[in-house]
Amino acid sequence: MTLSRKARWLFAAAMALGLAFIYVPLLVVAINSFNASKVFAWPPREFTTHWWTEVFSNTGVREAVGTSIEVGVIATAFALVLGTLLAFALSRYEFFGRQSLSLLVVLPIALPGIVTALAFRTAFRTILGVELSIWTVAVSHATFCMVVVYNNVIARLRRMGTTPEEASMDLGADSFTTFRLITFPLLRGALLAGGLLAFGLSFDEIVVTLFTAPPGVTTLPIWIFQNLSRPNQAPVVNVVAAILVVASIIPIYLSQKLAGDSPGGGRL
Amino acid sequence: MSVQAPAGRRLSAALFRRPRLRVGGLLVLPLAWLVFVYLAALFALLATSFFLVDEFTNEVQRGFTWANFHDVLTDSAYLGSAARTVGIALAVTVLCTVIGLPMAFFMAKVAPARWQNLLVALVVTPLWASYLVKVYAWQAMVQPESGVLDWLLKPLGLSGPGYGVLAVIVTLTYLWLPYMVLPIYAGLQRMPDSLVEASGDLGAKPGRTMRSVVLPLVYPSVIAGSVFTFSLSLGDYITVQIVGGKTQMLGNIVYQNYTANLPFAAAIAVIPVAIMIGYLMIVRRTGALDNL
Repeated sequence: MTLSRKARWLFAAAMALGLAFIYVPLLVVAINSFNASKVFAWPPREFTTHWWTEVFSNTGVREAVGTSIEVGVIATAFALVLGTLLAFALSRYEFFGRQSLSLLVVLPIALPGIVTALAFRTAFRTILGVELSIWTVAVSHATFCMVVVYNNVIARLRRMGTTPEEASMDLGADSFTTFRLITFPLLRGALLAGGLLAFGLSFDEIVVTLFTAPPGVTTLPIWIFQNLSRPNQAPVVNVVAAILVVASIIPIYLSQKLAGDSPGGGRL
Repeated sequence: MSVQAPAGRRLSAALFRRPRLRVGGLLVLPLAWLVFVYLAALFALLATSFFLVDEFTNEVQRGFTWANFHDVLTDSAYLGSAARTVGIALAVTVLCTVIGLPMAFFMAKVAPARWQNLLVALVVTPLWASYLVKVYAWQAMVQPESGVLDWLLKPLGLSGPGYGVLAVIVTLTYLWLPYMVLPIYAGLQRMPDSLVEASGDLGAKPGRTMRSVVLPLVYPSVIAGSVFTFSLSLGDYITVQIVGGKTQMLGNIVYQNYTANLPFAAAIAVIPVAIMIGYLMIVRRTGALDNL
């Protein structure tokens, strides 16, 4: 696009400032994980790698990671099935209430987290009288994880159209064979990307988790939240934070490789 | 004698002839989940906001009272909190737009095509760095005396914002910025460059082209992004707890009350829902929700 030189520089400067705004705080977290002092003070005076070795033997962290993975896997499994079915129904068929349904599916991420959180807690405890467990967390997570799977799958379905499937049917395959040999292989990337993002969303969630988890169930975000202000745990929290910052590259990298239809990795 | 087709094939043919059955089969599970799990939970929240609480045991009693809403709507402290929350959410949305729009424009229209994926990845990656870690990072940034901003600004004779409303706004802007950049970027990508060139050919200066051509076209994308920035800010309470100092938002009041007085907390939580549903209704008319 033709823009004046000055305008180009202004936009480039805005981009650079924006990226600095995004990355400086993350850099601070990374540097701070090597801070020898237990109390935060900038700039750090002494550096050590001691806390990095300590974090791997910290049982609290290890158990929390385990719980987070467990919740994430269950929620992702639910989300994959529900989100895919919904994407097929909404992209391939016209029916009464279709518009409302497409609004309803984004509602769990469009409404403030505390609303979803309190709604689930009230439903589980006050209305149904269910004991909170890892399952109540997973069910709540699946509800908003469904959206990212749905978004990825529907984007792929729109892009591929119905011609490959029609060709398969014209050649004599029935719907199930067509699904197995044509539709599913074409969708695989979108499913993997959606599943990965759903897992990431669940792994990171704190607001809904705090309201739907019983005292014994500590996911990694809950562990961080509980230990944020404890001085003797602070260095370990710093290291966990730095690891999470670095690890956030993985889902982005993989989902860009796998999906390729939505630049945002389908989170939106 | 006619040859019977295999069962799978007969089922497939039967389904093929009945599109209603197919769409029904596809919808039954997700619809049941959304209605019986999610909507039912929201309804439970609404119902609870009319329940009573036993003053001695704090037990929730089913019943019907307007008292919770009456308490919320007549206490100036709660109304002040509600107004402050909406104000913070608006400020965050405006800041995200002001920072995000030029970034998205650079990504979609100025940067060389081979940079685009990298830039998108750079903007999106922080979304996957844990929410808490990012709030924690800002705690380190704004901390009074020993914070990074104080250290940076001291040579200039200034000091950082410290804990408070400003820190909350900056942190929330930081958290939700990618949610604004991405829809605008996607919207700009769909806009053909020829429109901008045509505007230039017809004699418009760049500023005029921005105002009369680009902005109206990305408007639905800004709205789509604002749904997230506004809503996510509206319901936040953890950021406020960590960097807000004494600041109270609606989320904090819900968090402080949900064990002792669940119906009251529910009544407070209904406020952001009402605001968001109103907002979504208006927004749906612009067609912006199709971009989510």
